[in-house]
Amino acid sequence: MERASRISAALIFIAPLAVLVALWAVVVPAFGVRPQIFPSVAAVGKAGLESLIDGSLLRHVASSVSRVAIGTVLAVLVAVPLGILMGVSRGVSAFLTPLMRFFSVLAGIAWIPIATLWFGYGFGAIVFVIFNAVFFVVAYNTLLGVSTIPMTLRHAAASLGAGRRAMLTDVLLPGALPNIVTGIRTGLGFAWRGLIAAEMIATDVGLGYMLFVARDFYQTEVIVLGMIVIGTLWLLIDRLILVPLERATIERWGLVSA
Amino acid sequence: MKSLSLKNLAKTYFDAYKGEHVTAIRDVSLEVPAGEFVSIVGPSGCGKSTILNMVAGFIPHSGGEILVGGAPVKGPGPDRGVVFQSFALFPWKTVLDNVGFGPKMRGVPKAERDAIAREYLALAGLSHAADRYPNELSGGMQQRVGVVRALANQPDVLLMDEPFASVDAQTRMTLQDELSRIWEERRPTVVFITHDVPEAVFLANRVVVLSKGKVLAEVDVPISRPRVWDRLVADEQFKDLSNQVLALVRSA
Ligand SMILES: Nc1ncnc2c1ncn2[C@@H]1O[C@H](COP(=O)(O)OP(=O)(O)O)[C@@H](O)[C@H]1O
Ligand SMILES: [Mg+2]
Repeated sequence: MERASRISAALIFIAPLAVLVALWAVVVPAFGVRPQIFPSVAAVGKAGLESLIDGSLLRHVASSVSRVAIGTVLAVLVAVPLGILMGVSRGVSAFLTPLMRFFSVLAGIAWIPIATLWFGYGFGAIVFVIFNAVFFVVAYNTLLGVSTIPMTLRHAAASLGAGRRAMLTDVLLPGALPNIVTGIRTGLGFAWRGLIAAEMIATDVGLGYMLFVARDFYQTEVIVLGMIVIGTLWLLIDRLILVPLERATIERWGLVSA
Repeated sequence: MKSLSLKNLAKTYFDAYKGEHVTAIRDVSLEVPAGEFVSIVGPSGCGKSTILNMVAGFIPHSGGEILVGGAPVKGPGPDRGVVFQSFALFPWKTVLDNVGFGPKMRGVPKAERDAIAREYLALAGLSHAADRYPNELSGGMQQRVGVVRALANQPDVLLMDEPFASVDAQTRMTLQDELSRIWEERRPTVVFITHDVPEAVFLANRVVVLSKGKVLAEVDVPISRPRVWDRLVADEQFKDLSNQVLALVRSA
């Protein structure tokens, strides 16, 4: 039952993508589209196979994913405690909320030029861009999450003997978690896009770089392959990490964030 | 179990909206000996919640003294258990962990506090709900958990602010029956706030009528225990006392 419904959900998810590929397989030869404009399915398949065999695809994927992972983990580790601190005090939270919103809107990409000035081209600049894409959104959402925890819950905890530490771990953190998860989800979306953009400019390895270099040689099959990999990786991150995280916590508690 | 005493308690709020000070509690003195159940009734806005919040330590008082077992109150603490009208259960904790929260804060090891929590859940007929989350329970069940959570921490004084006001009338009477039974078994010191006169009389040893931030009258309730609604609905003494308190509240 459980498994059957999972399989059918997966099918419903995959079907439109399959239709898109089928359409592509028909349209490109039917209209005689030149490979410099758009590649055939077979060409992309071949490019995929070759880059798998020579290890270059894996190298690009590994460096992109590790950059996102490092930048995101660092950002979450700093943003959550900071967001909670900001949320605890009404004065501090009122002062910082507009700033957090402002920087949230910059969403990673806008940091690229200054990042390359500060860190040069390479790992540092890219991780910085990702860090910023995630940090502000998560800090802002954490702050929001803490300030929406009903005062009575804090009172209840205090009158059951909770000190500062327990208030943090047993009330503020779990209470803000729905918003934190929302923040991570939004931030990772920004980060993933920011990553691709930053890699086009500031490095010599990674999926963004792979796309950008392929353009110089009119290798549309590599470009499209890269786009497919980028989209697929995002869907995997979302389905395999973010959605289960939400299920395990928020939905079970009845805290689905509005 | 300890006594609670309020001496010339006063509270002035600053109403930021109007830009002026509002006196919510003028001069309230009240003695609640250890193991007594006192109800405070009064029309809405007379300052009931203000008193309770000061005793709980959630807001500072502007004048007078609050003593629990002779010691002055400074901020919230586990010596004063609170039951909230909105239940205030932790949505991210199971019923068992909600009830075990107080013992956890005291450093009681997991196995032991689970045992404590189960014992108290059994007291309110909630054993079957131990592993549920609050949002999976009805309002009446949630407030049973709220009461049990406060009791499981063995506070010196139990403070309840209109705890049954947001459940349906049928459930409310059941909860009142249960609270009365639990009080008879454990004899905690209770301050129970309500605007429902029959509820106040049914539960308490003494009813305090509050009016405009002052104590208007105190009425003893010598009705024998155990008290259950099945018996008290038709009880003459109960009716007389309720009418007497009601008249006071209306004159307030
Ligand atoms: N935070 C506050 N700021 C200003 N005035 C308040 C505040 N809380 C309560 N009051 C006022 O104090 C009075 C008593 O309120 P409250 O204790 O809530 O009454 P009750 O619980 O009996 O309905 C009311 O006039 C109310 O408007
Ligand atoms: Mg009130």
